[in-house]
Amino acid sequence: MDTLVAQLAPSRRGDEGSSSTAEWANNGYGNLDASGAVAGMDVPGVPDPLAFLSMHTDSMSTNPQAKIKLAHGTTTLAFRFKGGIIVAVDSRATAGSYIASGTVKKVIEINPYLLGTMAGGAADCQYWETYLGMQCRLHELRNKERISVAAASKILSNLVYQYKGMGLSMGTMICGWDKTGPALFYVDSDGQRLKGDLFSVGSGSTFAYGVLDQGYKWDLSDEEAQELGRRSIVAAGHRDAYSGNTVNLFHVRENGWEFIKNYDLSELWYEYEEKKKADLAAASAAAAGGVPIDVE
Amino acid sequence: MALFAASAQQEAVAAPIQHRFDPYEDNGGTILSIAGADFSVIAGDTRQSQGYNIQTRYARKVWQLTDKVVLATNGFAADGANFVKKVKQRLEWYENAHQKQMSIKSIARMIQTMLYAKRFFPYYVYNILGGIEEDGTGAVYSFDPVGSYEREACRAAGAAQSLIQPFLDNQIYFRNQTFPADQPKPIPGNLPLGTVLGLVIDSFTSATERHIEVGDGLEMYVVMAKGRAVDDLTSKGALPEGVVVEELGPLGEGGGERTFLVRRTLKRD
Amino acid sequence: MSIQEYNGGSVVAMVGKDCVAIACDLRLGNQATGIAMNFEKVFPVNDTLYYGLPGLATDVYTLREQLRFRVNMYRMKEEREITPETFTHLLSSTLYEKRFGPYFLEPVIAGIAPPTAANPNPQPYVSTLDSIGCITTPKDFAVAGTATDKLYGAAEGLWEPDLEPEDLFETISQTLLNAVDRDALSGWGAIVHVITKDKVITRTLRSRMD
Repeated sequence: MDTLVAQLAPSRRGDEGSSSTAEWANNGYGNLDASGAVAGMDVPGVPDPLAFLSMHTDSMSTNPQAKIKLAHGTTTLAFRFKGGIIVAVDSRATAGSYIASGTVKKVIEINPYLLGTMAGGAADCQYWETYLGMQCRLHELRNKERISVAAASKILSNLVYQYKGMGLSMGTMICGWDKTGPALFYVDSDGQRLKGDLFSVGSGSTFAYGVLDQGYKWDLSDEEAQELGRRSIVAAGHRDAYSGNTVNLFHVRENGWEFIKNYDLSELWYEYEEKKKADLAAASAAAAGGVPIDVE
Repeated sequence: MALFAASAQQEAVAAPIQHRFDPYEDNGGTILSIAGADFSVIAGDTRQSQGYNIQTRYARKVWQLTDKVVLATNGFAADGANFVKKVKQRLEWYENAHQKQMSIKSIARMIQTMLYAKRFFPYYVYNILGGIEEDGTGAVYSFDPVGSYEREACRAAGAAQSLIQPFLDNQIYFRNQTFPADQPKPIPGNLPLGTVLGLVIDSFTSATERHIEVGDGLEMYVVMAKGRAVDDLTSKGALPEGVVVEELGPLGEGGGERTFLVRRTLKRD
Repeated sequence: MSIQEYNGGSVVAMVGKDCVAIACDLRLGNQATGIAMNFEKVFPVNDTLYYGLPGLATDVYTLREQLRFRVNMYRMKEEREITPETFTHLLSSTLYEKRFGPYFLEPVIAGIAPPTAANPNPQPYVSTLDSIGCITTPKDFAVAGTATDKLYGAAEGLWEPDLEPEDLFETISQTLLNAVDRDALSGWGAIVHVITKDKVITRTLRSRMD
């Protein structure tokens, strides 16, 4: 741990500016070092930086008295089927019980054929998935071909593994189409990386899985698959206090991803409720052996 | 010697002394930014407090960065001031290297990387960036302390964000409002300047009434797109009583955008 | 998370011209999970007096029954209806009895007393109490629950003096809906009561369901 901290903290008080790159290195992307790795992150000079970070920040509602509240709370899902991959997410960010935003873009467009989803720390996902986009482009320039989804997700998982135990928080799905067809990987900040057909991540994921599992099969049509993704997010946004506002729906096909639409989650819920009522009326009418007539 | 030995006897320590590194303070206050079709308003109160004490009744939280970009900071004042200093330095380097001012979109991305560089030792600062986009439209970008950001039509941050934001949702985004069939729902981010300034003033007077960390003074920076008429701000009677308007000169060569500083007092209790 | 936020929920009351309004959301949650969307937190005492109990749901039932008993006893002994002022003090002493093991509730009261010989022209009345019975009687509005700060902001921006019943309905509805839409633990439907001297108008609102 101490060695890692020493590596990540290149400049300490007193030697700032001693190297001409120090100032640039403290400022992010602009300073990939010669090997293309990220040069440095400022770390407090304390024996245990993680304890420091968890004392002052609250990224998962575990430390509500902390001053620095980072946005969190989510439902995201993605699944593979014969027509590609469906990616659906909500758009709510909460700080405590306050809804900090209802318009968060939780699908990160890494490049025209790769998508990443956002759960956990918003900044962690935004920053590292943008960085992943840069690495994917470098791969293209070096190898004259697109990076595989497996390789892209591995860049991310190796990257976050380097920071393991320092307080990063992300649960992401990397979705794309490569030579192997539609590919989906789950990567999180513990360093876990899983290949799979169906994932849901975030505080509302249990509710989403409930709908997803009962409707999922490989042979879904495009429309059915999109509807399943949409319905699952609505169910989660309805039940989970920390998910909601809008649904963002994406479809990944052979020649890249397509943004389908942004839906108001609450309006969709009312539509499903109406349909439920209509179906119930039709069913009871069928049971009664006829169509009901209007009665004054 | 016996005396020495007795005095050298150490007192028993009951428990190990814990030292914790606590470098953050909450200095209260609130900031707010609203984008219009061809202008942007970036506002903040001027009270700086520590707990129940007021450190000063005039401390800036809103900073002019370029001819078309203004930054508002809120949270820990020392971190805020230092962060603004570093942003201004990077903007100066950029201007010297490229012979032009950085666009708002690029400043937003730069602020993300600068905040994220301190992911493990964060700046305790909530930033809102307001100004004019390359295409001449009003823009607002809001950030969390470690750099996640989003472009929006309006955003309140700081001590009274939870008081102001629901009011703004209602008045700017027309949330929970229904309109008659012959009158279409207005588009958010297209309100006239007079209405926007009125809402900003109402938001801050309301927050001052109900939050102890908000008050004293209000500074509203108005950035106007190139070629936009400014009589709705500068003409006589355009603004309510007690509001003072001052034009801030261009920082660079000036691309035609104009920045105004509109001040007003808030209650001091 | 505190015990007062365990189930979520909010109440707001407002004063108008010869009328008062009181409104609540309908959510009952178990922390982050929504359980019911028909959990009313506002109850009538009589035709011109209502009160709201946002806070811990189990205490809502207990205190409501306790108050029903005490108001009925008052009615039988006094052979008249309780006034909003008296009810506020009854509630205050009921809460203070549990000073060292309080109900986790923050009641809000709204009503207009019926005219009497001693008080021929009673004024609209709103009051609020903390969990151990300290009374506040604002001239404008009272708020309580998990969306308290959001309600304060919205109400402070939207409320104005001397609103007629229909305008008061619009004001309190907009205040409640926009406040609970920024609160993760409130929402899932809303209900509004506007109380005038001769009638009560009750409406359920179409609100966000997420």
